[in-house]
Amino acid sequence: MVNFTIDEIRLLMDKPTNVRNMSVIAHVDHGKSTLTDSLLAKAGIISTAKAGDARATDTRADEQERGITIKSTAISLYGTLPSPEDIKDIVGQKTDGTDFLINLIDSPGHVDFSSEVTAALRVTDGALVVVDTIEGVCVQTETVLRQALTERIKPVVIINKVDRALLELQVSKEDLYQTFSRTIESVNVVISTYLDKALGDLQVYPEKGTVAFGSGLHGWAFTIRQFAIRYAKKFGVDRNKMMERLWGDNYFNAHTKKWTTKGTHEGKQLERAFNQFILDPIFKIFSAVMNFKKDEVATLLTKLELKLPTEDKEKEGKQLLKAVMRTFLPAADSLLEMMIFHLPSPVTAQRYRVETLYEGPPDDEAAIGIRDCDPKGPLMLYVSKMVPTSDKGRFYAFGRVFSGTVKSGIKVRIQGPNYTPGKKEDLFVKAIQRTVLMMGGKVEPIDDMPAGNIVGLVGIDQFLLKSGTLTTLDTAHNLKVMKFSVSPVVTRSVQVKNAQDLPKLVEGLKRLSKSDPCVLTSTNASGEHVVAGAGELHLEICLKDLEEDHAGVPLIFSDPVTQYRETVGGKSSITALSKSPNKHNRLYMVAEPMDEELAKTIEDGKISPRDDVKARARILADDFGWDVTDARKIWCFGPDGTGANLLVDQSKAVQYLNEIKDSVVSGFQWASREGPIAEEPMRSVRWNILDVTLHADAIHRGGGQLIPTTRRVLYAAALLAEPALQEPVFLVEIQVPESAMGGVYGVLTRRRGHVFAEEQRPGTPLFTIKAYLPIMESFGFNADLRQGTSGQAFPQMVFDHWQLLPGGSPLDRTSKVGIMVEGMRKRKGIKVEVPDVSNYYDKL
Amino acid sequence: MSTDLHAPPVLSTPAEYIFQDPTPSSALSSENRPDRSDDELFTVYEIARTAAEIQARNWSRVALQFPDAMLADAPWVVGALDTELGKLQYSEGNSAAESIEQGAGALEEAQRKQKRNIRLYILADTSYSACCVDEIAAEHADADAVVHYGRACLSPTARLPVLHIFTRQALDYDAIAESFGQEFNGKETKAIIMADVMFQEHVAPICERLKAQGYNHIVATEIIRDPSSTIPNRSLPSLDPASAEKHDYDLHEYHLFHISTPPTSLLLSLSSRLASLRLYPTPSSPYTTTTSLPDPSATPSMLRRRYALVLRLTTASIIGILVNTLSVKNYMSTISTLREQIASAGKKSYTIVVGKLNAAKLANFAEIDGWVVVGCWESGLVDQDGLFKPVITPFELALAMQGDESRIWTGEWWGGIEGVKSEANPNTESTESQETVQKETAENIDGGVDEEESEPPVFDLRTGKLVSNSRPMRVAIRSSPPAGNAMQPNSGITRTQPNGSALVKRGTGEIALVNGVASPGAEFLRSKRTWQGLGTDFNPGEDEESAVIEEGRSGVARGYIVGEEQMRS
Repeated sequence: MVNFTIDEIRLLMDKPTNVRNMSVIAHVDHGKSTLTDSLLAKAGIISTAKAGDARATDTRADEQERGITIKSTAISLYGTLPSPEDIKDIVGQKTDGTDFLINLIDSPGHVDFSSEVTAALRVTDGALVVVDTIEGVCVQTETVLRQALTERIKPVVIINKVDRALLELQVSKEDLYQTFSRTIESVNVVISTYLDKALGDLQVYPEKGTVAFGSGLHGWAFTIRQFAIRYAKKFGVDRNKMMERLWGDNYFNAHTKKWTTKGTHEGKQLERAFNQFILDPIFKIFSAVMNFKKDEVATLLTKLELKLPTEDKEKEGKQLLKAVMRTFLPAADSLLEMMIFHLPSPVTAQRYRVETLYEGPPDDEAAIGIRDCDPKGPLMLYVSKMVPTSDKGRFYAFGRVFSGTVKSGIKVRIQGPNYTPGKKEDLFVKAIQRTVLMMGGKVEPIDDMPAGNIVGLVGIDQFLLKSGTLTTLDTAHNLKVMKFSVSPVVTRSVQVKNAQDLPKLVEGLKRLSKSDPCVLTSTNASGEHVVAGAGELHLEICLKDLEEDHAGVPLIFSDPVTQYRETVGGKSSITALSKSPNKHNRLYMVAEPMDEELAKTIEDGKISPRDDVKARARILADDFGWDVTDARKIWCFGPDGTGANLLVDQSKAVQYLNEIKDSVVSGFQWASREGPIAEEPMRSVRWNILDVTLHADAIHRGGGQLIPTTRRVLYAAALLAEPALQEPVFLVEIQVPESAMGGVYGVLTRRRGHVFAEEQRPGTPLFTIKAYLPIMESFGFNADLRQGTSGQAFPQMVFDHWQLLPGGSPLDRTSKVGIMVEGMRKRKGIKVEVPDVSNYYDKL
Repeated sequence: MSTDLHAPPVLSTPAEYIFQDPTPSSALSSENRPDRSDDELFTVYEIARTAAEIQARNWSRVALQFPDAMLADAPWVVGALDTELGKLQYSEGNSAAESIEQGAGALEEAQRKQKRNIRLYILADTSYSACCVDEIAAEHADADAVVHYGRACLSPTARLPVLHIFTRQALDYDAIAESFGQEFNGKETKAIIMADVMFQEHVAPICERLKAQGYNHIVATEIIRDPSSTIPNRSLPSLDPASAEKHDYDLHEYHLFHISTPPTSLLLSLSSRLASLRLYPTPSSPYTTTTSLPDPSATPSMLRRRYALVLRLTTASIIGILVNTLSVKNYMSTISTLREQIASAGKKSYTIVVGKLNAAKLANFAEIDGWVVVGCWESGLVDQDGLFKPVITPFELALAMQGDESRIWTGEWWGGIEGVKSEANPNTESTESQETVQKETAENIDGGVDEEESEPPVFDLRTGKLVSNSRPMRVAIRSSPPAGNAMQPNSGITRTQPNGSALVKRGTGEIALVNGVASPGAEFLRSKRTWQGLGTDFNPGEDEESAVIEEGRSGVARGYIVGEEQMRS
């Protein structure tokens, strides 16, 4: 039975110092969900016997089936410290009583779902990083750690699957210690690489209790602190001192009865304290149990003062091992202890997180409310994702209260991602119908929820697409929009089998785009409904959800396709000129490629149209070598006002120029959304307005004359500047044993892959190969790789950058690119030939 | 232009460009025009039949409408018609004289007829499209009737009687039969033969010929003036002459064999109604102006593109109703129906007449997010290339306004205004949102915002984002605003108090509300336009400094005074 009530939880919420919001993050298959189970078992949510197998936070059927987590799941737990004494060990933050509320989010490990991790990290303050003993720090471990650190999330580490090292690999104690310290070392390397100075030292140290070791499957884990407490009494030393001695080059010299840092005594090898005092009992239990030495087990149990329940005593082998270890070192205890002692409470965390969370000035009412985690401040709530309810088509808005108190019935301002203070765009007012507590797959109604807690909201799902800021303060700025490490670049188009089902598909698409933080549904100019996901697996899951759940009608999916971008390869060979339909206005422009770095910076939102013009000009001049006057005269970004194409005014002393700016900008948005080659969006192009001649009468230089003309001159300039296509490229990281590396290289070469790094994982025969692989070539890559390496290679693919599509000019109908463009145009139902520049270029 | 600009561009427009028509001209270049003998022209323009009709129907002022391609022949036609009419009147006069004994009444009539002076007018440069009858132009000449030459869309007209002269074109029957044989190999193929109106007279002979060749299931079409029939403007003969039932064809079993190039809108309309479409391209005649052959296999992708346009309009906040006809029957009622449809979807509509469409004219209305064109069924399909905002047909608009819950796209398509029903469009506002609105008034928890609840935004299927301003007029529809809520303090928009007499100062950037709704046009001006008139871009202290004010000259011309200075010579 659940050993806490909602009322108890509600009481704890009022003490934000005793709340811990944390997410469990790791590489795929390192045992996040399994480890989470032991915490749930401790809280009585699932039975202890099932823990480790149930993966209770994998609430979806396909998650259980595939054995991977797809959606992040939140659950609230009640934790208690065994004695008030322990409170003293919580350093650097205040605490009120021994009861703690732990809001835990289990997140997926597969790279395709890393947007779920981002959404989870945003609402938490701490992260439990799970690392596999054998595999060590993997690609995704690094990625999620980096994400956590940029969000200013404090990590603690558990090294999982220690049982495998003992049972399968039969490593020696010292080897195990070395593996541990190597893993911790690599975690710390990642942490110090992405360290944010505002947070201080975030590296993890076993001797400080920020690293645990254990086995999620068997339900046991320990920190050095736990052993230190045991031995502190025995040795009669301070437990903190003891902790330091139990890790690293510390030895207990049995002969001198003294602690030493030298590994040898009179030429003889001493046993490392960690090995002697911590690993030794564990190794003994393992060998006794696994070799079926009943008597030995019994003596060990009495020595360790452990009492097994009678039904467990009957067990043998692994089952017995599980039971003994679970009683000896319950995983939940050490995890809880680690979270409570070392992860920050919302009060602590929001003090340093506020600057990265809040877009507005650091001293306004909202910022202060967040900083102080003030339940009486103005409401500031960030919705990071939407969770489907049992009621089809409706969603809980899942988020975190950063300031103020949210309650059922309260009317709030809902600010979407494009909201700017003072404007009405993307701003809605709505009453929250109910507030709920998310408990895994279930919810518990709760009346109100103060700052620092994670909440589910009912009744506002229609106003939010994926995320947004909720506030009661009308001057509040947005909480920063989340930046995902993956982009939806793999697309498939969707069609109904039966025309009558179209409304259901449309409704399904709406629901789908709400239900996932990353997926993008859209309709292209040729009338196809398109679903875009981060990778093949992500897309597959999304489409399955769409067909079976959201739409519920039979659908036809196209093969996966990639998106392309149109760009230019050089500067326009001549100045492009277009005349307005009435011939009275002329625009002169040239197109040139933009620095790839700059295009990326714009796409990452680091340079945006919202920036202050002068500050932006400074960055452009300093980092990208722009002329300062040019940089100050950027008219707009496009497409959609934010994309990575720029229109720069280089004209001098043109009369009425301000008057036509709006028309030119409209034309620019239009042209950059549908490029001249194949109506694909344009990217990384900079157009310069060289000169403009305008008619003296306002009526003859209106939008009607200039919008179409701008588009024509932009097209002409682009067509004169070696137009080209860009394709998206995956960064592939493949873990593979040395023996199968040949196969990996073979598959990569066949698919235009390009290996740029190869390194051996220390202490293992495993190699990590990093390569760039065009997304177009990545479909079926996994299967191909499995075949090529007989299943020994594990790839992770994540979108990295755009690259020029090789194979000739798109204007040349015989080149490879030209043929492809023709196919694209044909599919879109537009004229097959790429229009010649003479269609857009006018003679003077 | 050379590789670079060497000299500053000329600031004036050379005279030769000034009167150039920016729209692509459909006129035929003169060298393409073959010389034809009078006899030939006489048959092509069916002079005899025309004259007889005019005579028989007692028209006295007749407008002759020519498409651009035939305009060169217009004077000849007028001349020929005049002569022919003169001949007819003479012969009638004679016959009237012969029957003079038959009664006084007949005599009077004959005299009146003889006196009747039939005047002919040439109408050129049609306001909308050459396929439609230009009634307005005809009414300028106070004409009784219009004779329309060339291919026509046969849309019913509202005011004037029309005589359509499709002009007679020659056709090579052997080539057609051969082409037919290539398209359909089985003799049992079910096929409907249809021709462009200009070739209509050949349909029956061709059918006979094909039947003689052993094709049993050949159906010939006949012209009727009904664009809304299954095959626009065509009727099918009853299968069984004895049965009274009109339509016993399952058209989905039939293939269509079309002689000459059909207009694209016909292709789109028919593509979902028949099994397949085959074309027989006629040799380019001087009077058919389309040269590019549309590909029937491309129609599905064209229809899909139309669907994409429909979706674009679903989230538009302002829709322009583009009046592209002033003669098709029911155009006025169609416009009001469209207005209702748009209004009930909570959007704003403007009705605009621009004459012949082109990109420049439409782009002048930057506020408008999309257009619906009211015109004849052939001109309803507007080529989107180069147009700033999508232009769709009333049929498509009905789909767009329908709401995502009920929109079904089967591939059925229609370009005209026929079939626009004024059915009370079930308000797409979901019931639940109304519920919540009521709920909101019931409870009001402390600490929240005291603004009015907003309408839920609309999901834009095109971009996959939420759009908040797609129903700007929705508030007005929902209800009149509650009385106590006259001022909205935080919204940046003030509501004009209905009966307050006090003057209220309007804050900068605020828009007055009319019936609780801010005008979407004004909102556009406020939020999207940076240029709002002279002086708005004046930025003191940036780069220009205004000149120092100095005292000028004063006095009379004989001698001005400059500043402190005394008289100057």
